[in-house]
Amino acid sequence: MTLREFLSNRLKCIALQVICVGLATLFLFTTGTQPGVLVILLIVFLLVFLTVNMLDFFQQRARLLELKSILDGLDRKYLFTECVPQPKGLFEQRLFDLVRLAGRDMTGAVSDAQASQREYREYVERWVHEIKTPLTAARLICRELDGGTRRKLIAELSQIEAHVERALFYARAENPEQDCLFRQIELEEIVVRAIENHRSLLIQNCIQVETEGLDCIVYTDEKWAVFILGQLLQNAARYRGEAPVITISAHALGKQVRLTVSDNGIGIPAHELPRVFDRGFTGSSGRSRGGSTGMGLYLCRKLSGFLGLGLEIASKEGKQTTVTLTFPAKENLTKL
Amino acid sequence: MPKIMIIEDDPAIREELALLLENEGYTTLVITKFTDIPAQAAQEHPNLILLDIGLPGKDGFSLCAALRKAVPAPVIFVTSRDAGADEVRALSLGGDDYITKPYSVPVLLARIKAVLRRSGSGPEQADLLEAGELRLSLTKGVVSSGGKAVELSRNELQILACLMVHTGQIVSRADLIDALWDNQIYIDDNTLSVNMTRLRGKLAEIGLPDAIKTRRGMGYQL
Repeated sequence: MTLREFLSNRLKCIALQVICVGLATLFLFTTGTQPGVLVILLIVFLLVFLTVNMLDFFQQRARLLELKSILDGLDRKYLFTECVPQPKGLFEQRLFDLVRLAGRDMTGAVSDAQASQREYREYVERWVHEIKTPLTAARLICRELDGGTRRKLIAELSQIEAHVERALFYARAENPEQDCLFRQIELEEIVVRAIENHRSLLIQNCIQVETEGLDCIVYTDEKWAVFILGQLLQNAARYRGEAPVITISAHALGKQVRLTVSDNGIGIPAHELPRVFDRGFTGSSGRSRGGSTGMGLYLCRKLSGFLGLGLEIASKEGKQTTVTLTFPAKENLTKL
Repeated sequence: MPKIMIIEDDPAIREELALLLENEGYTTLVITKFTDIPAQAAQEHPNLILLDIGLPGKDGFSLCAALRKAVPAPVIFVTSRDAGADEVRALSLGGDDYITKPYSVPVLLARIKAVLRRSGSGPEQADLLEAGELRLSLTKGVVSSGGKAVELSRNELQILACLMVHTGQIVSRADLIDALWDNQIYIDDNTLSVNMTRLRGKLAEIGLPDAIKTRRGMGYQL
């Protein structure tokens, strides 16, 4: 609150004070008080009013600053009214009571919403775990079929599993802190796991996988990193070109580690590139090939945010797509 | 033959898993009563235990600790729970490996083999494979026929072994690649072709130039 704001707010009150002083002066002057006395009286009046107004101003400003600093210090701002010191004055007290009532109602609504979101997330997680049992059984039963049918069915099962996995991570991304488990891990281990998970997809599509310089140590959550890498492998397989090759390489960049996943696939048109991380965005290739959900890269970006990973994409249409993941240095993890 | 104990509450997976492992030459022991499993294990002396976490009654974690006391066999957790915390907990409770469902069959078999090898009770693999005049020694990596012998590289050995196990049947390129894929070595179509040419060359050296037939559009046949 500035002095100007305060004064303009007080304008009526100050005008009233000035009018009162004027009338009093006029009255005293007509009843014969000496002008010298009047001038002194006038100065005293003005000084008293000025002091009172200035005191009010400083008091109000201090009070506002105090409230603001309490609000700034709060993690959940809507709990503000529960945390402020007892208000001074009847009017402020009543006002606070009203705001507090409104706040309480909101707190209730928020905690209801949180509870139902948590329940939903728990249900999705349980559902995902349950669906994995029949999927596993189906995979085992597939083994008894002959070559061609078996491979086709396994490819379809892998598709289902990929969708299920995305649903699980979508649910997890709502409360990432519950699942993230940062630890020191060999980058190679993450890459091997991701490739292993997509083994049938890669073999089916005759994709050559080349790895290079993966003997770096990173600090991250293995499950999430494997998931992100898996999405990239799925994309590379889906949008493959002739004689597909995926190159996964890494190099240290100071204390960070940079992992590049590069393919020689059909690429992404330049005008679509800025939107590939958007939720539900399926590019022209995604639409023409079908089966694209527009969730893969969206989830990658969301999860990367929680892991403190840098995620960048570059592409030449018809030639290649390169995704770069930058793993943060250990020291930078504490602030996540 | 190593005996593998399967502790899994889903009947379909239980049966299929037992069938799969028996086909791979293991003896299986399927648990159907989920009471006092450690005692059942102590009676049967398995070489390896496959343990699910979500079980009726006691969960897999507490069961693992009890099993560890009862028998010396290594334990592989096989579960659909894939939170990082679960894996850490499983391994700290004495689990030897942690596989999440849905797993692919080759991955499962490879991990079982690795754990058995570590615990020193791996399957005594038939070292010598025979098909017609061909003899293949898996440990030496040598193929011989009529007194002549030639050494094979890892990939050539795997290809020939895969064909010899399925003598007379057509083995597709995808199946061969599947058999060749290892943890760190990712075989693609070209590599397979190169290795196949080399393998044929080596077979020609020992007097069997046409041992491997190409079945156009289907694969290879020995």
